[in-house]
Amino acid sequence: MAKQQSREQGITLRGSADIVAEFFSYGINSILYQRGIYPPETFTRAQQYGLTLLVTADPELQRYLCSVVDQLKDWLYKCSVQRLVVVISSIESNEVLERWQFDIECDKTAKDESAPRDKSQKAIQDEIRSVIRQITATVTFLPLLETSCAFDLLIYTDKDLVVPEKWEESGPQFIANSEEVRLRSFTTTIHKVNSIVAYKKDSFP
Amino acid sequence: MENLEDNTTVFSTLRSLNNFISQRMEGTSGLATPESSQNTLHMQYQQRIQLEEQAGQIHSKSQLLQVEREKMQMELSHKRARIELEKAANTNARNYEHEADRNQELLTRIKQYQEREVEAENKLKEQIEMNKSYKKSMETMSKKLQEKESKLAEANETISMLEGRISELKWSLMNQEMQTASQESQREELMEQLDVQHKKWQEASQQVQTLQASQTLMAEYEQKIKDLEQKLSLQEQDAAIVKNMKAELARFPKMERELRQLREENVYFREMKENNGLLKEEVEGLQRKLERYEKVQASLVALELENEKLLGKLKSWEKLDQSTGLNIRSPDDFSKQIVALQQRELALKEQNTNITNSARILEKARQQLQEEVLRIQNQLLDEKKKREQHEALVRRLQKRVLLLTKERDGMRAILESYDSELTPSEHSPQLSRRMREAEEMVQKVHAHNTEMEAQLSQVVEEVGNQKQRADMLEAELKFLKSQTCTADQSLFVTQEEVNTLRLKIEELEAERGRLEEENKCLEMKLEKLTLQGDYDPSKTKVLHFSMNPASLAKQQRKEEQQQLQEECERLRELVRVLEGGGSISNNPEGVGSLQSPQEIAELKKQVESAELKNQRLKEVFQTKIQEFRKVCYTLTGYQIDITTENQYRLTSIYAEHQGDCLLFKASSSSGGKMQLLETEFSRTVRELIDLHLLHQDSIPAFLSAVTLDLFSRQTVA
Repeated sequence: MAKQQSREQGITLRGSADIVAEFFSYGINSILYQRGIYPPETFTRAQQYGLTLLVTADPELQRYLCSVVDQLKDWLYKCSVQRLVVVISSIESNEVLERWQFDIECDKTAKDESAPRDKSQKAIQDEIRSVIRQITATVTFLPLLETSCAFDLLIYTDKDLVVPEKWEESGPQFIANSEEVRLRSFTTTIHKVNSIVAYKKDSFP
Repeated sequence: MENLEDNTTVFSTLRSLNNFISQRMEGTSGLATPESSQNTLHMQYQQRIQLEEQAGQIHSKSQLLQVEREKMQMELSHKRARIELEKAANTNARNYEHEADRNQELLTRIKQYQEREVEAENKLKEQIEMNKSYKKSMETMSKKLQEKESKLAEANETISMLEGRISELKWSLMNQEMQTASQESQREELMEQLDVQHKKWQEASQQVQTLQASQTLMAEYEQKIKDLEQKLSLQEQDAAIVKNMKAELARFPKMERELRQLREENVYFREMKENNGLLKEEVEGLQRKLERYEKVQASLVALELENEKLLGKLKSWEKLDQSTGLNIRSPDDFSKQIVALQQRELALKEQNTNITNSARILEKARQQLQEEVLRIQNQLLDEKKKREQHEALVRRLQKRVLLLTKERDGMRAILESYDSELTPSEHSPQLSRRMREAEEMVQKVHAHNTEMEAQLSQVVEEVGNQKQRADMLEAELKFLKSQTCTADQSLFVTQEEVNTLRLKIEELEAERGRLEEENKCLEMKLEKLTLQGDYDPSKTKVLHFSMNPASLAKQQRKEEQQQLQEECERLRELVRVLEGGGSISNNPEGVGSLQSPQEIAELKKQVESAELKNQRLKEVFQTKIQEFRKVCYTLTGYQIDITTENQYRLTSIYAEHQGDCLLFKASSSSGGKMQLLETEFSRTVRELIDLHLLHQDSIPAFLSAVTLDLFSRQTVA
């Protein structure tokens, strides 16, 4: 759960980072469930943004997501993260089949002590809800994942960032022949998140 | 107490006195009342009252005196009484004090007593408690005592009983002593008997030992007999084997011949196999070659196609050569040409720049000249304007001159009229003066006129000068124009270059447009790439968690694959070994690593020993079974054979014919119930079946009856 704002109105930098990190946590969980990367019986229901979302109950996966989201929250707070990508690849052939890309535009002028932005929590939550609904709806047009798949989280950060322990540099993991669909975006006025899903074009049109 | 009595006497005397006085008063008033009458009476009454009053007064005085006396007496007595009372009070006070002291003493004593009492009460309580406890103890003691008494009574009874018993026992003791004495004598007799028996027993045991020895000997002999029988049977078998062997030996040379033949065949086949392998290799090599050749052929076709294309290109080149008429035979020539053209172009460009420079210079000069011409034309216009002004001035002046001459004429006419009217003499000086004046004025006007004319001529002259200058300038202009014409001619030469340059510019423009389009296209691509997740590597780096689920899954898969590959390799090895030797096929655990030949030999040995053991066990079982069957036959009188599953054939020892037998069938596999099946023999013993099987339901009884029946028949026979 995200730390609620100390004031009902207005968004601070830390609060914004919390909201965005929370969105990623639920968004990644939704993608993993919707795309069937993990078996559906390992998910439990949770109420968030006025929706019933499915959250993993696999302790190992929980640990992984928790550590990534915590690190991400720190980077969001420092405004040094540009993009988060959920890469879904086939285990057998290592081929990247889907990329869920979340471009993050940070307002670097926002500082800890600067005045909170005037946007209500509810308005942000409404925007996030529509993004998550769209993620759920994409299942209708995304091609079926026929092989067993695994996922990876890539975070695009500023070049000068010090790589923390347990993290390493990675390739961008492009899809060779892809089609892209832009999804909705939301903003906390400090962080703006644009969502895009790219998937491998069907080889037999 | 005495004082009190005194007081009362005083009071009583006082009272009696008072009573006396009151009686006297009543007696006097009673005497007066009957003597009163009407008026006189009243007077008398008044007198009497007065008298009485006087008497009363006297009486009261006397009484007073008396009372005073009495009072004195009373006082005296009172005093006395007081003194006495005081005395009494003193004594009383003293007594009181005394009493008080005593009271105090008594109180203290009372307190003491109370304390004592409390103490005593406490003691009493204690005593009572003690008493109670004593009573309790007493009670318990008494109970115990009673119990003891009862016990004592019991004990006494038991004692009496015991005494009775003692006496009985004494009696019995006496009897027993008597018996023991008799028994001892018996014992001695028995001892003697025992000795005798003992000797007998020793003899018997010796006999038994000898018997046992003989039995063991018997058993040994029997064993030997059996062994010998076995040996005999073995020897018979051996004999049969030997016969067989002999027959086989007879076949042996033939087999050897066959063997030789087969060996030869084998050698031949081996060679064939080698040949075959070689041929296969050859075939494979040939196939590979064929594939290669096919590829080469395919490439050849491709190359031919390419060649044709190239030929077409070459032809087009040659055509180009023909069409252009240039000496282009090869791309080299073409490139040389191009280089030459480029060089020429460069030279032309240089020329062009030179020419453009000169053109520019000329243009500048032309512009300067034009400016000059303009300036001169402006000057000309100014001059013309001036001339026109001057001409206008001249016209005006001429008009004025005309006016003046007319005025002058008018004046003259007026003067003449005056002259004619007047006599010439009278006003002649005046007139002459006027005349003079007028003439002077005319002269002045004339002078002015001349002056004006001079001015005019001057202006005209000036205009002429200007015209001259304009002409000169025009000439100059013409000259310049001619000059520009010459410049134009040179320009015409450059014009072409300009045109070419323009073309070039157009080309460049087109190129620019193309580049812009390309740029747009690239921008689009860039956007698409950003959509696909591209990034600027100079500003951004991509990080991910090293232990992410994808890499973990891949690692796991790799490990699994490796494991499977290893397993596959191992299995392949095994298959090869099996195909090669086939010796390990016996080994059920062939999946494992290859055993060394030593191990195999060991295992073989083990197997052999196990088999040997098995064989021996089989033999032992066989002999034991044989023994058991024999024993059964001799003991029960029946030989039992298993004909088929669950069917047993019983043949009696006393059977009259070889085929007489009884058949039993087990209803269940465990052999719980047996059923008799009908045979030829069973029909002859129907009565026994009815009796023993149907009525008594006992197979052993039936069998025994049959045995007895047969035995009796044999003995009778």
